[in-house]
Amino acid sequence: MNYTLQFGPIWDNRALILDGFITTILLSAAALVLAILIGVLVGTAATAQGRTARALSVAYVESMRNIPLLIHMYFWYNGLSFLKIPAFWCGVLGLSLYSGAYVAEIVRSGIGSVPRGQRQAALASGLTNVQAMLFVVYPQAIRAIIPSLASVFSQLIKDSSLASVIAVADITYQASAIEGQTFRTFEIYITVCLLYLALVTAVSQTLTILSGTRDGLARRVADA
Amino acid sequence: MAAAHKVNSMDNPTIVIDDVSKAYGSTQVLRNCSTRIGKGEVVVVCGPSGSGKSTLIKCVNGLEPFQSGSITVEGIEVGSPRTNLPKLRMRIGMVFQHFELYPHMTALENIMLAQVRALKRSRVEAETRSRSLLKRVGLEAKADSRPANLSGGQQQRVAIARALALDPQVMLFDEPTSALDPEMISEVLDVMIELAGEGMTMVVVTHEMGFARRVADRVIFMDQGRIVEDAAKEPFFAAPASERAREFLSKILAH
Amino acid sequence: MPEVILKNLPFMLQGLATSLQISAMVAFGGTLLGLVVAVILYSRVPVLSAVSRIYIEFIRGTPLLVVLFIAFFGLPALFGYQTTAYKATVVAFILFIGAYLAEDIRSGLMTVKPTLTQAALATGLTHGQALRFVVVPIAVRRIIPTLFNQYVRLFKFTSVASVIGVSEFTGNAMLVNAREFQPVTILAFVALTYLVICLILSGIGRWLYARLAVN
Repeated sequence: MNYTLQFGPIWDNRALILDGFITTILLSAAALVLAILIGVLVGTAATAQGRTARALSVAYVESMRNIPLLIHMYFWYNGLSFLKIPAFWCGVLGLSLYSGAYVAEIVRSGIGSVPRGQRQAALASGLTNVQAMLFVVYPQAIRAIIPSLASVFSQLIKDSSLASVIAVADITYQASAIEGQTFRTFEIYITVCLLYLALVTAVSQTLTILSGTRDGLARRVADA
Repeated sequence: MAAAHKVNSMDNPTIVIDDVSKAYGSTQVLRNCSTRIGKGEVVVVCGPSGSGKSTLIKCVNGLEPFQSGSITVEGIEVGSPRTNLPKLRMRIGMVFQHFELYPHMTALENIMLAQVRALKRSRVEAETRSRSLLKRVGLEAKADSRPANLSGGQQQRVAIARALALDPQVMLFDEPTSALDPEMISEVLDVMIELAGEGMTMVVVTHEMGFARRVADRVIFMDQGRIVEDAAKEPFFAAPASERAREFLSKILAH
Repeated sequence: MPEVILKNLPFMLQGLATSLQISAMVAFGGTLLGLVVAVILYSRVPVLSAVSRIYIEFIRGTPLLVVLFIAFFGLPALFGYQTTAYKATVVAFILFIGAYLAEDIRSGLMTVKPTLTQAALATGLTHGQALRFVVVPIAVRRIIPTLFNQYVRLFKFTSVASVIGVSEFTGNAMLVNAREFQPVTILAFVALTYLVICLILSGIGRWLYARLAVN
C-alpha cells in the first residue's frame, strides 16, 4: 500500500470544513422546520372527516415519498431554474417536501393513536375543531410522534448531503473541494463520515433525553 | 390396564432425577428434587402455579439448565457437557401448553420436519409415518391444514403426533390441556389415555385430576420448588400425607 | 408523450434497465448480508456480534453519498486499486442497505417466541436447524412489508449513483436534459416513472405478504 495516511492537510482546511458543517446544520434545521409544518398539515388532513382532504393527503404522501430526493433537488434547481432560487433554498425545498411526506405519516399515526373519544369529548364540551386538535389531540399525539421525529431529523441530516450535488456548500461539497486540492481522498471522506456520525448521534441522544424529561414531567404533573 | 407390566420397572428406571436444584437469577426455582420414573410408568406432576413443575420437566430434556444435582434419561446424563442433546431429545417427546406448532408449515410438515432433518429419514418414509400418526390422533383429514386453521384441541393433537414422530421412549407433557377450551380437553386426554394404555412412559404436568385418577400410576405433588409428595395414585388421592397437598386437592377437586 | 421524451426514450430506458439491474443485485446481496448479520446478532456470537453492531451503527449514521464516495474514491486511493463506478456502487449499496436490513431482520427474529424454538429443540433439532427451518422462515415472512420498504428505498437511491457517473436512469435523463434543455418535462417523466415503479414494488410486497404471512 503506497498510500500514507496524512490528516495534516485536512486539519489545514478546517475552516472550510467548519463552514460546510454549519451549512449542513442550517440546511437541515431549515428543512426540518418546514418539513414539520408540512407534515402536521398533511398528516392532520389524513385524519380529517372530509374525503377530499384525506385523498389529497394520501396523494401528497405517495407522490412525494416515491420520488427520489435527488429528483426533488434537481426539480427546484434545474427544473425551475428560471425562478433563480438560490441553491441553498432549493436544497431546503427539496428536502422539506420529501421529508414532509414522512413526517405526515408519523403525524397521522400519532394522531391515530389518540383514542377517538378524546376529540369527541372535547367537541362535546363546546370546543371548536381547531381548539380540540390544539389543546386535546396534538398534546397527546406528540408523545407518540416525538421518538419518530428524532429518526426523521437524523435521516434529514444525512439526506442533506445530496444538496452538495446541486452545489450547496455543505460539508459533503467541501469534502469534494478539499479532496480536489489536497488529494487526501480517504482522509477527507472518512473525516466527513465521522462528522456526520457525530452529528446524527448527538441529535438522537439529545432528543432521547429531551423526550425522557418530557415524559417524567408529564408523570409528575399527573401524580400531583 | 394391570399394574403387572410395571413390576420391577424400578430396577432400571428410565428417568432418574437426583437432588436437582435450579435458581433463575436470585429466585430459587427448584430445591433438591429427587425421584425416579420407571419404564411404562405414568406419573402426574401437580401443584400450585409457581411450584416449579414445568421447569422440572423442561430440565429432563435439557431445555432448562440446572445448577446442581443430576438427571439421567435411559442412563444418559442430561447435564453432562459431553451429552449430545439433540440426539437425546429424539428419545424424549415433549408436548407444550401452547401447542407450539410451526405456523408456516402444514400439520403434515410439522410432523415431518424433525424426522427428515434430525433423524435423517427419507421424505417418503417420513410422510408415510406422519400420515399414520395423524390417523392415530384422528386428524388424517387435516394433514394439509395450517395451524391457524385448526382448533386448539386439533393443534394439540398434532403436537402430540409431532412428539411421537421420532418414536420416543418417554413423553413429557407440560400442562397439555391448560390452554384449551373445556369442550376440547377430552379429545386430547383421550389420546393421552390411549398412549398410557400402550405402555408409554409419561410424565404429565396437569391439573386434570380425573385423568390422574384414571391413568396415572403415581402422583408427584410439588410446592415452591420442592417435591412435597411422591406417592402411588390411590394413597395420594385417598389420604395425602402433607397439609399443602390436602389443601391443594380440596381446591382442585371442589369444582 | 412529449416529443423530447419519445426521441430520447431508448437511451433513458437503458438507464432505467441499469437502475433496475443494480436494485436487483443490491436487494439480493443486501438481504443475504443482512440475514447473516442478523443471525450473528440474534445468536450472540462472541466478537462477531460486536463487529456487526459497530458496522450497523457506522452505516446508519452515514449518508449514502459519503459511503459511495468512500467506496469509489476513498478506498481505491487508500489501497491502490482500480474500480468502476458501477462496481463501487453495487458494493457500497450492498454494504449500506445490508445494515438496515440486518436491523429489520433481527427485529423479526426477536418476534419469534422462545417457546417455539424450545419446541423445535425438543424434537431433536440443533440450534442451527431450529434457526434455519423455524425461526428465520417465520421472521422473514413477518417482516415482508418492512423488507419491501427497504427495496423501494433502494430503488430510489440508485439515482445517487448518477453522481459518480453511472449510466442509470437519473444520470441518463440529466444527460438528455443537458442536450435538450427541457428540465420540467424530463424531470416530470423521470419522477412519474419512479413513482409508478415504486408503487408497483410496494404492491408486490403487499401481495407477497398477504400470501405468505403467518400469525
